[in-house]
This record gives sequence, structure tokens and C-alpha cells, in this order.
Amino acid sequence: MLAAVWACTSTLACARTAAEAVTTQAARIRHVFIIVLENKNYADTFETSTQDPYLRQTLVPMGALLTQYYGTGHVSLDNYISLISGQAPTKDTADDCLPGLIGSVGNFNDVAQTGWAAQGQVVATGGCIYSTRVKTLVDQMQQVGLTWRGYMEDMGNDPARERATCGHPPIGVGTDLTNTAEAPSSAVPLGDAYATRHNPFVYFHSIIDAKSCDSQVVNLSHLPADLAQARTTPNLVFITPNLCNDGHDGAGTGAAGTTCANGQPGGLTSSDAFLKTWVPRILASPAYRQDGLLIVTFDESSFVTPSVSRNPTTGQTTVTVTYPGQTCCHQQPGPNLAGVRPSTMTVVNTPSVVTNLVMQDFGGDRIGAVLVSPFIVPGSTSATPYNHYSLLRSLEDIFRIDGHLGFAADDPSTGYILDSIGSDAAIFQHRAH
Amino acid sequence: MRRSSSIARTSRRYLRSLLLPYLMLGMVATLSLVGPAIAGLSAQAQLGRQIFFDPALSASGRLACSSCHSPTQAYGPPDGAAVQLGGLARDRQGSRAVPSLRYVLNRTPVWSKPFIASSTERLLEGEEPPAGGFGWDGRFNTLEAQAAFSLLAPNEMANKGPEDVVRKLRLAPYANEFRRVFGEAIFTQPQQAFARAREALAHFELEDPSFHPYSSRYDDYLEGRATLTAPERRGVALFEDPRGGNCAACHPDRKGADGSHPLFTDFQFEALGVPRNPEIAANAKPGYYDEGLCGPLRTDQAGQMSECGLFKTPGLRNVATRRVFFHNGRFHTLKEALQFYVRRDTHPAQWYPSAGGIVDKFDDLPRERRGNVDVTDAPLTRTAGQEPLWNDAQIDDVIAFLETLTDRDVRPAAR
Repeated sequence: MLAAVWACTSTLACARTAAEAVTTQAARIRHVFIIVLENKNYADTFETSTQDPYLRQTLVPMGALLTQYYGTGHVSLDNYISLISGQAPTKDTADDCLPGLIGSVGNFNDVAQTGWAAQGQVVATGGCIYSTRVKTLVDQMQQVGLTWRGYMEDMGNDPARERATCGHPPIGVGTDLTNTAEAPSSAVPLGDAYATRHNPFVYFHSIIDAKSCDSQVVNLSHLPADLAQARTTPNLVFITPNLCNDGHDGAGTGAAGTTCANGQPGGLTSSDAFLKTWVPRILASPAYRQDGLLIVTFDESSFVTPSVSRNPTTGQTTVTVTYPGQTCCHQQPGPNLAGVRPSTMTVVNTPSVVTNLVMQDFGGDRIGAVLVSPFIVPGSTSATPYNHYSLLRSLEDIFRIDGHLGFAADDPSTGYILDSIGSDAAIFQHRAH
Repeated sequence: MRRSSSIARTSRRYLRSLLLPYLMLGMVATLSLVGPAIAGLSAQAQLGRQIFFDPALSASGRLACSSCHSPTQAYGPPDGAAVQLGGLARDRQGSRAVPSLRYVLNRTPVWSKPFIASSTERLLEGEEPPAGGFGWDGRFNTLEAQAAFSLLAPNEMANKGPEDVVRKLRLAPYANEFRRVFGEAIFTQPQQAFARAREALAHFELEDPSFHPYSSRYDDYLEGRATLTAPERRGVALFEDPRGGNCAACHPDRKGADGSHPLFTDFQFEALGVPRNPEIAANAKPGYYDEGLCGPLRTDQAGQMSECGLFKTPGLRNVATRRVFFHNGRFHTLKEALQFYVRRDTHPAQWYPSAGGIVDKFDDLPRERRGNVDVTDAPLTRTAGQEPLWNDAQIDDVIAFLETLTDRDVRPAAR
């Protein structure tokens, strides 16, 4: 009955039913663990880098590699939001809600919604925090009695900067202090590299307006206790490492001038160390061993094509950095990106140098994903195209939720149909009949 | 006998020097040279307090930490000298204006400049600014390192080396307490003793409540125990306006997420292009420039040309009691300092030397580094001939607001 209600709300589309959505052993999965890392392209992560031996040489052989998994946008926040809500970007979420960029509102402000578009897309002039009418995966899960928790590393390390639970800046007030990592001090000995823009849950009033946000969006330090028993492990465990451990900061080499605020190397080096610490704990947990699925992916690719030219008359150098912004899966831009993606921005303009940033398309480029589960064929790969909308759809299917949010839903009128990872026979064991 | 008398005289001098600031603070009842522990302060902190106020630890015998970081001026400079005097005869100028030690020490992050891995995010959202570290150039990551510099710098306390400091510590009236806390044999290991003394200083600076009283009227206002006057309210609005003064962007003025009161600094670095100050003798030498992050005092960032001219943002608590502003002490009134912000670009000839009608703007930096000066953040975006952001009445309003940041125990610095 509840599912039927879900299927008829404005942000949901009715399509294939949950019962028939998952055609492999993935149907047995009841606990999903997601770790989202930052800003690495597929070729670096899975082909050339020497900084991530644990990911490449341990986790990939242990599980399945999705070779054609794509981010949904640039820069960070729009990817996280698409993953849990199916919403395409606003002008502000497309740029991490930083003030003074291309967005119209900036900072931590409400989405200025002007209407609805097809597939439950919010039409907005800008803004960052969606109204209670916009639902997310965790709202869906709660409706069917499933549990979830977001585990944010470092959140609340500096309690003056953000709260340790459901941490976000005051709405509409001032600068988001979490835009910059805070180095250690006497008062904050571990520093604080929590970034609100990597925590999708706090961009939805449906989550932050509820008292339960304090018990469901918590510091990563809560995870070990939650993993102790299957009954204390949420059905969805969403993990965001801090800015260093997710690879956002640092080049991974440890060279002077390329480190994180806390002096760690960052990049894939710190990400790999994070995985090496936390993944064994997850894989050893009763919930994972019983019916778990671990997903390690990235928000977006960092692949760019640089070019440099020099005007011999003026001596001015022009540097152009081009993001392909590639998409997969017939991804749609949504209703809010006109003039924003694709685009060319001149970010530096001096007599000696001009720097242009070109976004050729609105996607997030190829990032890849690794899945580990008792129900996965070890060492398998799939070249089926997926993206964050696909992952959202897949989770909705795995959790047997009727209805799909936003761009996780099919739109037969345009031929927009997403694959569901749980039905990928190339990686999951076949269902016993 | 003579030695005993000498020690007795020394002890009386110590006692006076130690008592003076506490008498002024009305805290004498809590002071004990080697007495029982003071509630809330560790044994190291109590030792550190005695070291902090001890002028005998300097080569001149007349310069304590507290001489420049005066407790009655929020541990800032006691007067309006652009830089304080130190050295053997207390006749050598320090390098920079003395910052206040109040509030910021336990919150100052180690120096960092996080590197964003994605080149596009660096372009689109900007590189992370450098932040943190002690001193105007952030070159000290610990209070212990900062203390070592001041104890040994020839133009500050001017000790010849750690052994020199330890020799003086052995003669101090609190030497026995030092032994009791750090071991009977501590003075036989000068490097260890020097390190422990600096640790003690750090404990004092971090633990003693006098470094963070939160007793200003603005603190009362934040707690709902006081109201702001109309000029103060206008002042805070001007201070906060992101398209106006934009001061709060670097000097946050609102409560933290946990209700903690603001420190009025984000600890980040900024190049303001403050005019050269002829009061600093070193500036008479052509070609000498204090370029902050990239030297000459700091050396590890010397090759980072984009960081030349950047200095750390100071906290603004008790700013209205200071008589010396910015890293080189160029200005001596708060009004002049604020006028500089809003008229730097509209009336550059007011601040910088001119020759042949050409203003030598940002004259305290080498010409090739002047492009580092902030001209993109309000209120530093105007051009010559435009109206200044604030008129005199508005500046007075901002001053009225800043005066609410004065702690109850702080007195204006001497002129």
C-alpha cells in the first residue's frame, strides 16, 4: 500500500515492479555499504596509478569491476545528490554551492523552485537545499521499514565548525566553513576535513528537518559499533571519508606543497589506506557476511585535456582546460543547466595569462566502480554502462522499493531506460530456481 | 653572603615583576611562586606563567615575554610603537608589530596549504589559501618553536643559545620548582631543560583563563545579556555585508555551530598592500622587503612567488585598544586602519608615495610581487576616483561595533 502511494507522488515514476527488478542473487542483498571517493578518472584508478594497490589488486579480484560506470556531473555535489535523489543539478549544486561562481543563490540556501519537469525534476533558478516535497532513497527506505545511516568522517571534529551529527552550515547565513579543510590545532588535534558538499543527506529538508537526522547522519566513528551485529547494522551504510581520505585533497605523493591540510599525502594513496582500514572491518561484519554488498566508487572523474598557446604579438599565454563531461545511459541534463553546461568560463584573465575552463558536456565522465559481495562472481567485470542514477535505481530495486526517483526512473516516452546493477548477470551469481 | 644577597635582590625583583601584571588584573591572590597548585592550571602551566613574566631570561634583563605581550593589553603590545625594542641593550627593533596572544593560540591550526588534486576544481573554485601557524607568517607550528625564536632572536630576548637560557633558569627563584616538575637532573641536560621551559610556556598560554576570558560586551550581546546601540548595530551590518565591508569573510563574527563565540579570524593569509612604514629602520634600506609568507624571516616558502606579501589574518578582539595595526605597524589608530581599507584604491595617493603624478601603489612589496595584493574581494575592488565604500560616519559606526569586542580587563595601549 505504501509502495503504491510512493509510486503516485509527483517525484516518482511508476515502471517495472520491484519484484521483477532483480534477476540475480543480488535479490538476496539486504545490507549495502557505499564508499564514495573523489575526483579520479577510470584510467588513473584502475589502469595506471600505483597509489591504490589495495583497490586494484585486492578488491577488484575479490569482486566485480564496472568498467563503464560514469559520474553524472561536475563538480562534486551534483553527483552525490543524483545518487540519492535522482535530481539533476541546479545552477548552484552544479558548482558545489560556492558563492560567487555561476550559481544564482550560492552558499547553503534553499532551492528556489519554480516548478516541476518530467521525471520529477525540480525546476529552479538556483539554490542547494531541496524542499520536503523532494524525496530521497532514504525516505523510500524508511517507508518500507529499512534503516540507513550516513557516516561522515571528521564531522564534528571541530564542533565550532559543524555539529557532530547532521552537520551543515546555518541555512542562508554566511560562508560554508567546511569548504576548506582545517589543519590540526591544540583545540582540534585531528583537524577537521569534513566537507558538507560531500554529504548528500543535508541537502534535503526531508532529512534535516527531522529530529532523526541527528541519529542517522553521524561521524564515521560510530561505524565499528554498528557493524558488531547484523541487527545493529543499517540496511544502507553510506560512507564519506574526509577530504584527504576521499582523495579530494593531496596528490598522493607526499611531496611538499601537494599534501592535505593534515600533512597526509591524500590522493589515491590516502584513499587506498582508508579502504585498507575500513573495508576489512565491513567484510568481517555479520551483516555483510549474511547478505551484504560493498560498493566503492567516485563522485566524478578528474580527466581533463589541457592546451597551451601563446600570442606572439602580445606575449599572452592562453591555457585551456577541457572537461569532456561525458555521459552514459542516455543521461539527460535536467531542466536547470541552460547556460551552465556546456560552457566556457574564463577563470583567469591577466595581461600575461588567460585561463579558460571548458565544460564540453554535462556529464561526470568515466570513473568505474568496484562491487564486493558474497553473491558476486570474484574477478568478474561488466561493461554495461551505469551512472549514479543507475546506482540509485539499482538500490531501489535491491531494496524492493516500488517506484524510482527522478532520473532513476524510466521514461518510455523518450526511450530513457536504465539498467539495474542487480540484474547484471556478468557479475552476480545466477538466481537459483 | 654576597651571592645570597644577590639572589635575595633578584628574588624581590622577580616577585615585583611577577606580581605587577597580576596586581593590575586583581589576581594577586592566586599567585604563588612555588606554592600549591592553582586550580585548573597544571604544574607546567604554573611554571610557564613564571617564565612568561620573567625579564631575567633576556640578555638585557629587562625584557620578558610579557613586556611585548602585555596582559593588560590582551597580551598585545603595551604602546603604539610600530615594533617593540629588544636585544642586549633593548635598542634593536623587532621585525613586526606584536600580535595579541589572547584567544587565538589554542585554535591556531598548524600551517597548511591543502592541495586540491583536481586541476579543474583548483581553477573553478580556487586554490586553497594558506592558513595557520603562529606568527604573522605562520612559520611556527608550535608555541614551543615560537618561544625558542623569541628567546634567542638577537633583536628580541637575545640569548646566545639554549644553554644561556638554561643558565638563567638555574638562577631563577622558581628553579627548584622547575626541578620538581621536570626532574632533579633537568639542568644537567640543557637541551632538555630548554625544551621543557618552552613546553611550560605553551601550557601557560593554552591553559590560563586570562588568554580567553570572553568578557567583552559583544560576548554579552551574543548571550542575550546586552544590547547593541544603534551605531553598533549599524557597524556590525557594515562589517558583515558581503557586498560592502565584507570584513566577516576573513574575521567571522558569529557564533560557532556549538554556540562558541567567534575569534574574528579565519587564520588564512591575505595580501593587503599595506604601505611601507618608515618607522621601521630596516625599511630605509632599498631593496629590503618584508614579504611575509615568502620571507625573509620565513624561508620554507621562499620559492612560492604567489605567496609573497601575504600575512596571516589577525583576530579582532580587543582591536580597539591597540595603537598599532597591520604587520608593519603602519597605522596607529583604528580609524586610519579602516580608512585604509575603504580608500586604498579610491585615493591611493593618500597612502603611497607619488612621483611625477604616479602613485607607487603597494610600495612595501617588490614591483613583481604587487600582483599578489587582493583586488578582487570587497571592499578592495574599487578604482581611483570612485567614492570610498564607507564615509566617516560609517567608519565611526564600525569602530563603535569593534569597541564592543574589548574585554572588561583590557586597557588601551599607551600612545
